[in-house]
Amino acid sequence: MAQRTPSGALRDRRGRSASGTRLWTWLMLPGTLWMTGFLIASLILVATLALGTTDPLGNPRFGFNFANIAAMADPAYRIVLLRSLGFALIACAVCLVVAYPVAYTIALHGGRFKNLLIAAIVVPFFANYLVRMYGWSVVLSDGGPVLKALRAVGLADAHTKILQSGVGVIAGLVYGFIVFMIIPLYAALERMDLSLIEAGRDLYGGPLRTFFFVTLPATRQGAAAGAVLVFLPAMGDFVSAQLMGGPNQIMIGNLIQDKFFQGQNWPLGSALTMLMMAVLFIGMLGYLRRTRKDEAEAAR
Amino acid sequence: MTSSDAPSAGAAPAGAPPAIRLDRLSKNYGGSYAVHDLSLDIAPGEFFSLLGPSGCGKTTSLRMIGGFTEPTAGTILLSGEDVTALPPDKRNVNTVFQSYALFDHLSVADNVAFGLKRKGVGRAEIRERVGVMLERVQLGGLGDRKPGTLSGGQRQRVALARALVNRPQVLLLDEPLAALDLKLRRRMQVELKQIQREVGITFVFVTHDQDEALTMSDRVAVMNEGRVEQCGTPEDVYEHPTSRFVASFMGTSNLVPGTYRDGQVVLDCGPALPVGDRGGVADGSSVSLSIRPEKIWLSDFEPGMALVRGVVRETVYSGPTTTYLIELAPGVTVSVLEQNTDRSRMEDRWSGGESVEIGWRPEHCLVLE
Amino acid sequence: MTLRTPHRRHRRGTDRRPRVALTVTAVFFLLLYLPIAVVVLFSFNGQKSLTVFKGFSLRWYSAFFHDNVLIESLGMSLRVSLVAMAGSVVLGVALALGLVRCRTRLGSLAGLIMLVPLITPEIVTGVAAMLLFKGMDITLSSGTVMLAEITFSISYVTVILRSRIAALNPEVEEAAMDLGATRWQALRLVTLPALLPSILASAVLVFALVFDDFVLAYFTTGVDPQPLSVRIYSAIRFGVQPTINAVGTLMLAGSVGLIGLALAIPRLFGRRGGLDLLSGK
Repeated sequence: MAQRTPSGALRDRRGRSASGTRLWTWLMLPGTLWMTGFLIASLILVATLALGTTDPLGNPRFGFNFANIAAMADPAYRIVLLRSLGFALIACAVCLVVAYPVAYTIALHGGRFKNLLIAAIVVPFFANYLVRMYGWSVVLSDGGPVLKALRAVGLADAHTKILQSGVGVIAGLVYGFIVFMIIPLYAALERMDLSLIEAGRDLYGGPLRTFFFVTLPATRQGAAAGAVLVFLPAMGDFVSAQLMGGPNQIMIGNLIQDKFFQGQNWPLGSALTMLMMAVLFIGMLGYLRRTRKDEAEAAR
Repeated sequence: MTSSDAPSAGAAPAGAPPAIRLDRLSKNYGGSYAVHDLSLDIAPGEFFSLLGPSGCGKTTSLRMIGGFTEPTAGTILLSGEDVTALPPDKRNVNTVFQSYALFDHLSVADNVAFGLKRKGVGRAEIRERVGVMLERVQLGGLGDRKPGTLSGGQRQRVALARALVNRPQVLLLDEPLAALDLKLRRRMQVELKQIQREVGITFVFVTHDQDEALTMSDRVAVMNEGRVEQCGTPEDVYEHPTSRFVASFMGTSNLVPGTYRDGQVVLDCGPALPVGDRGGVADGSSVSLSIRPEKIWLSDFEPGMALVRGVVRETVYSGPTTTYLIELAPGVTVSVLEQNTDRSRMEDRWSGGESVEIGWRPEHCLVLE
Repeated sequence: MTLRTPHRRHRRGTDRRPRVALTVTAVFFLLLYLPIAVVVLFSFNGQKSLTVFKGFSLRWYSAFFHDNVLIESLGMSLRVSLVAMAGSVVLGVALALGLVRCRTRLGSLAGLIMLVPLITPEIVTGVAAMLLFKGMDITLSSGTVMLAEITFSISYVTVILRSRIAALNPEVEEAAMDLGATRWQALRLVTLPALLPSILASAVLVFALVFDDFVLAYFTTGVDPQPLSVRIYSAIRFGVQPTINAVGTLMLAGSVGLIGLALAIPRLFGRRGGLDLLSGK
């Protein structure tokens, strides 16, 4: 009955009796308990293990040792962290630049094929991530079609490599996560009032200026959502750097993976995980503050 | 002037115990009252309407009777039994919802049979009763269809059948005809009234359309801001409104300001008009004289009528009737509705600028404070 | 949701075919499908090369079906996906119902908690899950993978179901109760059937997501058997055999089929296409 709200005061007019909510609470309980238990317990473990040590055999031992935390200050780790941030942010930017035209074309010029085109983007994304990245690494390899095409048009020479470089890693991140940027942008563009564009053309004239001054601001929220959805997994990714990068492109995800598997230093790995989470947390806070400011402005 | 209803004013016609008794029913949502101190008696077999504008509390009251909203205070009695604490599935009441709320995944027949199945009625009896009910609402043969394939009017009948087949003591209808177009609505109004008479069940009907309420009801409760302003037969409520709100909500009413003095109302714009002795009104108090457009005459006055002169400002022809807007004084305009029985030619009607005398029987006007 | 009909949109020719955007889109689609095309193509390669295609052959598929380790992994992945699907759907639907209907503070808190897995990088959940199991002295196995995947998938189910539940006409449930059904009966007989398309769609979606999942499985799997994604990862890292192409192609085909199914399910029930699911994200 949401459509029949006569006045603000009557908003919650369902006025459920106390016995009613009991059923819903019981329903909610198993799922909530499971998730809360899982998440909280595991996060506590990660945090506490960061304070631990390893015994001579390499087994993790709980303790109260700040060595790992102190190790986080190591310049080597700082470089990796900054590199990961850089890669993730650049990947975000590239995704934005690529996703906008694509989402724009489909949303505003897709016509009958809109749904089909979006499906054509989404469906491959659900294919196996590893297989797609592996295929991408083949495509970007020295003998692959991309470099061949670039050489043909003179944008690359015989020595240019994409793999084993930062470009390769970023290309991997973009390929892996760009769908997360396209979907929110598409949804925002779809919902946009087209008369805004018409008004914009009326005021600004050219399509490019209209885009920057009308379309972009109107779909800002979609872009922000997409940016978050790309940035977060990109920060934690280790497959891209592994398949497409070299030893100088190691990301924090690779470090963590190493500590838990080959390196067998779980406490250090936990500390690194905490470090990454701290960075992400700070980033999210900043983002939330930004959006809240935007919302407050919009409400004025 | 509002009246919070004492049980006597909303009391059922003498004799039978009320099918529904609402006793000081209130619903408070975080500080504001959707329904305030509502008391009503509804007689068995009555077609009773709750009428009022959006937000007046009529739907909230209905939902409380149905058990979907818990009252903050007061009691609800169904045939003498206190059901205030009972959930909807335990009350002998069924509802026709405004959105019809049909079960789209079930066939029409299964929709109608739903309540009977809950009660544990045998399959053979279910089939029979569902069949009879579908015939009664003129949906015979559509039992196997899904609601999604039906028209709005048909869906409305399914909702009705689904509720009626359970033979409840009371049927609650929440603006069931609101979504239908005019012609269909008129037809359904007649059909609903017929069904109600045949089945003999008490109907509590919520609507914001006063035409609808007047046409269909045995009694009407006019509500405003959570209270009942007036409760009575359609004639009572229309011809003898007891408050300014009811007077203006039911049809149109002219309101002319003036002062009451000993059987007369001296209009602010000048003339003193006879209104007869209005006992409850204090001498010298500021009042509004309320007179309905159709009660004002433009000729052939009778002795004793209140007469006043004015100037015709507008003439609005609408087929069977003509409405004249007559200015008595700057800022004081009354509308007069006349049937075009005598004055079928243009020349016979008054036109703009003409000076004219209007009059009415004093007993037809209301003096409102 | 947009209220505009397709025809009106067509008539709004404000930008005549923006050339740059179209080119970018075309190149995008090309690059999107190129890796997939490569994998599929070379899965039929007669030769053992990854760069030269010579001769059409099904040898790599045959190699896959004869590789016991890989087949065992396939079986495990299927089992894990099935269990994760069942578990997350049951818990997720219940959670979604509770979240939408329960307006208490617990409800809003739970709503936030449920979003956490969706925004944390998988490596974090992987590490956390692994530590949780080890901390409780549970040896990693297919069971631990299942438990971890269920946790992660509940969020997806809940997100999809939440918007659908909120869009339901509340009067329908009230009508059921009006006609004599208890709250539980109303839920079972009226609400759940109305939600069935979304429930099925989310189930299929979860199955596909879990089947393809890598990072979480990588951290929570035991030594033997391992999920298929993990085996693929090992194979990619330690020297590629072209069998991977065959496996990859098969997985691709499977995922595509499943996702197509998930998107089509609402249509089968007489509603519009399932992309409404995604626009909610």
